[in-house]
Amino acid sequence: MASGGKGRADSKAQQEFVSEAEDILERMRDDLSAVAEATQSGDETDPDVVNRLFRSAHSLKGLSGMFGFQAMSDLAHHLEDLLDGLRMGRVQLSAAGIALFDESMGVIAAVLADPGSETVTASAEREIHAIIERIEAWNRDPTADPDAGQGGSQLPDSLLRALTEYEEHRLRESQRRGKGIYVVDVDFEIASFEEGLGEISAAIKEVGEIISTLPSPGDTPDSHIRFSLLTATQLSRADLATRLDLPEASIAVGDPPREPSEGPGSSTAESEPGEIEAPATEHATHEQTTLKSISDTVRVDIKKLDELMNLVGELSIQKGAIRRLAHKLGIDPATARAGAELEKMHRSLERKLQELQAGVLEVRMVPLRQVFDKLSRVVRRLRLDLQKEVELEIHGADTELDKLIVEELVDPLMHIVRNAFDHAIEPAGERERAGKAASGRIRIEALQRGNDVVIAVSDDGRGIDARAVLERARQRGLVPADAELTTKEALDLVFLPGLSTREAVTETSGRGVGMDVVRSNIAALGGMVDIESRTGEGTTITIILPITLAIIQALIVGVGDHRFAIPLNSVRETLLVDLSEVQRSEGRELLNLRGEPLSLRHLSEEFRLSSRNRDGKQYVVVLGMGDARMGLIVDRLEGQQDTVIKPIQGPIREVRGIAGATELGEQGAVLVLDVAALVDDLGRRGDA
Amino acid sequence: MSVAQHQSGATWDLLARVAAGSGEGEEPVILRELLAFSLAGDRYAVPVERVREIVRMRQLTPVPRVPAEILGVISLRGEIVQVMDLRMRLGVEVSDSSRTSRIMVLHGDEGAVTGLLVDTVSEVLRVPEEAFRPAAAGEAEFVTDLCEHDGHFVSILSVERVLNVGS
Amino acid sequence: MSRILIVEDSGTMRSLLVQSLEALDPGLKIDEAQNGFEALRLLPRQPYDLIVTDINMPDINGLELVSFVKGNAQYASIPLIIVSTEGSDRDRDKGLELGADAYLVKPFDPAELHRVAADLLASRGD
Repeated sequence: MASGGKGRADSKAQQEFVSEAEDILERMRDDLSAVAEATQSGDETDPDVVNRLFRSAHSLKGLSGMFGFQAMSDLAHHLEDLLDGLRMGRVQLSAAGIALFDESMGVIAAVLADPGSETVTASAEREIHAIIERIEAWNRDPTADPDAGQGGSQLPDSLLRALTEYEEHRLRESQRRGKGIYVVDVDFEIASFEEGLGEISAAIKEVGEIISTLPSPGDTPDSHIRFSLLTATQLSRADLATRLDLPEASIAVGDPPREPSEGPGSSTAESEPGEIEAPATEHATHEQTTLKSISDTVRVDIKKLDELMNLVGELSIQKGAIRRLAHKLGIDPATARAGAELEKMHRSLERKLQELQAGVLEVRMVPLRQVFDKLSRVVRRLRLDLQKEVELEIHGADTELDKLIVEELVDPLMHIVRNAFDHAIEPAGERERAGKAASGRIRIEALQRGNDVVIAVSDDGRGIDARAVLERARQRGLVPADAELTTKEALDLVFLPGLSTREAVTETSGRGVGMDVVRSNIAALGGMVDIESRTGEGTTITIILPITLAIIQALIVGVGDHRFAIPLNSVRETLLVDLSEVQRSEGRELLNLRGEPLSLRHLSEEFRLSSRNRDGKQYVVVLGMGDARMGLIVDRLEGQQDTVIKPIQGPIREVRGIAGATELGEQGAVLVLDVAALVDDLGRRGDA
Repeated sequence: MSVAQHQSGATWDLLARVAAGSGEGEEPVILRELLAFSLAGDRYAVPVERVREIVRMRQLTPVPRVPAEILGVISLRGEIVQVMDLRMRLGVEVSDSSRTSRIMVLHGDEGAVTGLLVDTVSEVLRVPEEAFRPAAAGEAEFVTDLCEHDGHFVSILSVERVLNVGS
Repeated sequence: MSRILIVEDSGTMRSLLVQSLEALDPGLKIDEAQNGFEALRLLPRQPYDLIVTDINMPDINGLELVSFVKGNAQYASIPLIIVSTEGSDRDRDKGLELGADAYLVKPFDPAELHRVAADLLASRGD
């Protein structure tokens, strides 16, 4: 047997490794965002977060080493060292340092995205070495560990012996800051200790820090377990006891708190050279995540959820067939009873199916936080690159959306935020002359409204001059010279492709780079974009999206000027046949399909559309519903597309043969064929 | 864009006249808000609360197997909405849509909406209830009331009747 | 039949540990805990013959777990292996001081894990 990790790693293990490493990376990015925000606003960084970052780097190092990703492991090792310095207080984090981390995350993500690729690995290695050199350069010049305090002499030895090096450091640090050091003893039943421990831990974290949690046998060791929580807080023992609703006797004092000698604001961290002092911002509230055990969750490939969703879709089609059968039975008095029974069953099936669909959809929902965190990273980066002071405010990061939509949102949102940062927000001097705060502000807000999620990105920049936009659009012939537009309509012109070029409106209005792309991206998700702006005051871009995409694959076909979508799960095959192959029987057209007769219908005749029949050749889409087959003759096959079927609203409730409609980007609405109905109708005609 | 912004000076004149005529100390005047639009040169209106939004004409996808007055469907921020030609529905002379043509998106039953193609959307009228005159019974299929405004009659449509195509 | 408890927050590392130990003896019963809390819950339920634990874990670290196991008359006799990414020497020394029977450095050599685990299980069997 090979010793060492790499040889043992089969591809399944490698997949597991990649997905776990991605999880770690995502967590590091989240934590880094929190640290960056705290650094930026001058708050004390949460030691738990820094420690979690350290642990993540540590895990990543071990994992990637085990799987033979040596460069990644080296980089993680260096990050670990750096984070160790940070959590031990040897190093202060600057904006440049955070950018270094961001870059590292980026390189690691690139390797993970294509772990088999040698070229990716090679170029990533070069980047990694460059980053490592910078980290080493930084590490050579660390801020010295600020005078570590004395070990807590009054603490029980059993507790001190189980402290890791890091926890020892946290203890010294708390003592140095004059905090009170206590040991809070709590006793729980083994069967349910996590809930109680979670509550008390949360209560302590509101007023201080838990340095260590040491378990020991409880009063009755068989059924109870005791925890000694090494706690650092400014509170006195009495206050802490009140706060935690515990008798004072269960709290032992290691060191009482010193009188706070320095105000909370005076302990400023030393700034690294080149660090940008950004003003305090109202941050997204990172709510305390629950202490719920991770073991209750599983990772699921989104493709599997799509498959489930497709199954639900297919079941709905079967359900339709049952309903039709129930109707048929209901007409004949001899079978009316059975028909009514079947109808009842159909209704209950429908309800269950809706619940199933809702359940699958719910699993796909993820909070927008992950996108918003990416945006904060971009803004941090831009702050450094462009030397511009802009605050980013985020609200509603917990709003949930379909995972696929969230992924597709990254690019458009990035684009909007970059535009706002780069073009809309004026340089500090210009802002001050206009009587605005020197530092600009971008606000992102998400909220759910009915079945939609609304995301608004506002800036307080120079705004868009609607007249200038209209003027430019006229010059380019995008609107008639005599067109009279409202301000709103003129603003909407920024979404036109011809206008969305840098030179077009940037200087005059500060917006418009690639907004057409943003709009088409959002439209492809079934959403819409809206823009509002006031000259001199700023701009708000609002994106409205459906909460979920019930996606089906569809074949798009054309007849004359018309387009239709056919759910791919009912398409068996497509054929290009010569008209001479078509035979007739009792006026019905047939095709010999490998020895079996296939009934043909022209979609143009079915829907009374004018068709541009080509001479000789015809496209036949072979539709299958259960065992029934039919061939649908169309003019063109236009390809496959992921689509979302929407109901058609309006006075006409049902159109035979149409299941709904879907939006195909710029082409507007496209009707989706109800294959079950079409096949059914053919059969009925056959019966008659 | 809110329809209320379209409120014109004429409305205020009307209000002023109403206020002057009613005198002080009498019972308060109940005003009804109507969205007025034109169709083949005539003035029509629907209760403003039935209007969700007004949009320009856009890419229309025809739908087979529906009555002719249903022109097709449009995509409205991902919602698929039928559009009805109001001229055809009311039996007035049909013409192509023009630059001022708008689709009034009306609230129908059960949260569904329907688009109504009209020539020009003009303004929101605030009309006292007393100014309503019932339309002559038997003569009008869709008009419930008439009200006088600026020397012209405005026909007030029953949204229910207009949208009741299926039967 | 021997029963082993693995405490490790990394799923991948956990399955590697399981794989390695199963190769030692396919009949082994192996329980997995994702964190210290789970380990605390599992411990009273089964008589374990060996515990393999990581150090760096959220909530309760490996040292705290070692302290609990070795400081508790019920469990003190269960052999315990720490498997951790090369950490500080101090953490290793502390682990051994607290009573851990062996300390392996990740990436560990499966053969080494076999040898140590087999030794410890055998000593228990005596």
